Amino acid sequence: MGEEKGDFEPKIVGFTCNWCTYAGADLAGTSRKKYPPNVRLIRMMCTARFDPMFALKALLNGADGVFISGCHPGECHYIKGNFYARRRIAAMRTILKQLGLDNRVKSYWISASEGDKFATTMKNITEEIKAVGPNPVRDEIL
Amino acid sequence: MKGTELNYGDLEGFFKGLLESKAVDCLIMPRRVGNSVSYMLVRDKDKITAPESAIFAPSFGVNAANIVKGWLIDEKVGIVAKPCETRAAIELIKLTQLKEDSVLLITVDCAGTYANEVYAANYADIGDQVDSAKIKELAGKEISIRGACTICENRLADVGDIAIAQANGEKAVVAGLTDKGVEALTAAGLSLEEKGLEREAEKEQIAADAKANLEALPKIDSEAALEEFLRDCIVCKNCRDVCPVCYCKDCFFDQPLGNPAGGDLLNLAETRGAVAVPANQLLYHLTRVYHVCTTCVACGACEDACPKDIPLTRYYPVITKKVQEIFEYVPGKDVKEPLPFTTYEDDELEECLK
Ligand code: SF4
Ligand code: SF4
Ligand code: FES
Repeated sequence: MGEEKGDFEPKIVGFTCNWCTYAGADLAGTSRKKYPPNVRLIRMMCTARFDPMFALKALLNGADGVFISGCHPGECHYIKGNFYARRRIAAMRTILKQLGLDNRVKSYWISASEGDKFATTMKNITEEIKAVGPNPVRDEIL
Repeated sequence: MKGTELNYGDLEGFFKGLLESKAVDCLIMPRRVGNSVSYMLVRDKDKITAPESAIFAPSFGVNAANIVKGWLIDEKVGIVAKPCETRAAIELIKLTQLKEDSVLLITVDCAGTYANEVYAANYADIGDQVDSAKIKELAGKEISIRGACTICENRLADVGDIAIAQANGEKAVVAGLTDKGVEALTAAGLSLEEKGLEREAEKEQIAADAKANLEALPKIDSEAALEEFLRDCIVCKNCRDVCPVCYCKDCFFDQPLGNPAGGDLLNLAETRGAVAVPANQLLYHLTRVYHVCTTCVACGACEDACPKDIPLTRYYPVITKKVQEIFEYVPGKDVKEPLPFTTYEDDELEECLK
């Protein structure tokens, strides 16, 4: 209640693959790169484990933002998991765009060696979601 | 293309011939009962009478593919149906919910259909068959085709194994679209010749009209609009049950997490303060639209089945079409083309992830 665009602390749920982005987050941590505490990471073994329903549930339960991040295409630990994941994410985002729900959803490719990129991306998404504002479903009875 | 022209009076002999020659072991085909038309599953050829009074009828009750969904049988079933139904059957083959060798898909040209109850109530006006001119004339009397048919881009019989096309009230072209179709026609005793059934200009016109009609539909383009659109949904899941391509044996929304009750629901209400019940209305429709996003054939069976008259054609076929466009995929067009989620290209789709 009463939270305004810009001056609230968004809750952001990130679905990250074990081998790349999660390791990238670890690197950001061990190299003492600061990034906002708004993101909560959920580790999957591979982006191929991502089911669009995860994002839908998070959003409908009040998450202000959701992101999915894994190895760069072509660099998946399981060779082609993220190629399939990319199709599912693209489909999900195409659906959400039409329904005007996509501005809370992001997707990235961040490798294990990109600790810097991870920290910057987290700063950016936090700013972006702050600009979008609190998820209105938090005040609704859904 | 190999085919022949049949008089309406010869269609009965043709269908009987399919059974007699064992080209198929049974047929699912429309049959007339008074003013109504519905499907029958027929094994005895003598039960087929005057098919010309039923197979062209612009009446839509269920999607015939939904009848055979999950039938992993060894016998061969011939399905006489409209293009959207054949396309759904082809998607089911790709989803391994139907065996390609166990079906003979016989597709009849369609001009647009009326909900079966509308058809029966207005049979005196509609008759056994309509064309576009007749559909316009009936619209003037407030007898309107189904919403899904107004946005259908592929209503000519160009998918499946056999086409029954260009029916003009007296004669129809029966043509083989696949080797299997040609074999069945030959087995049924037809002598085939070269027949042109390309109709590209007509198809383009149909597609253009359908696109314009789709563009004219009210958009569901915000969360508020989606909530408003679904407000009266009672989460009965009829739209799932009648959908030919919604096929999971254990739907998430029939399980405790997807369909919480009792203590689970109390816990949810505890966490959130309050929950809407029946629960998961939005999650159900958002999940379902993703589940059918590459395979929805835009048949509109979901809208017909909704007890609350929610115009689901504005949602399922419209939203899924954009997904099909990013994969350049037309569900049911080609049985050999892989489902979009079973394949990929190394370099693609980055613009959809922005
Ligand atoms: S979602 Fe509706 S329109 Fe699409 S295939 Fe299923 S029943 Fe037909
Ligand atoms: S058939 Fe209608 S009321 Fe039932 S779940 Fe679908 S949209 Fe809701
Ligand atoms: S293991 Fe990282 S995307 Fe597959």
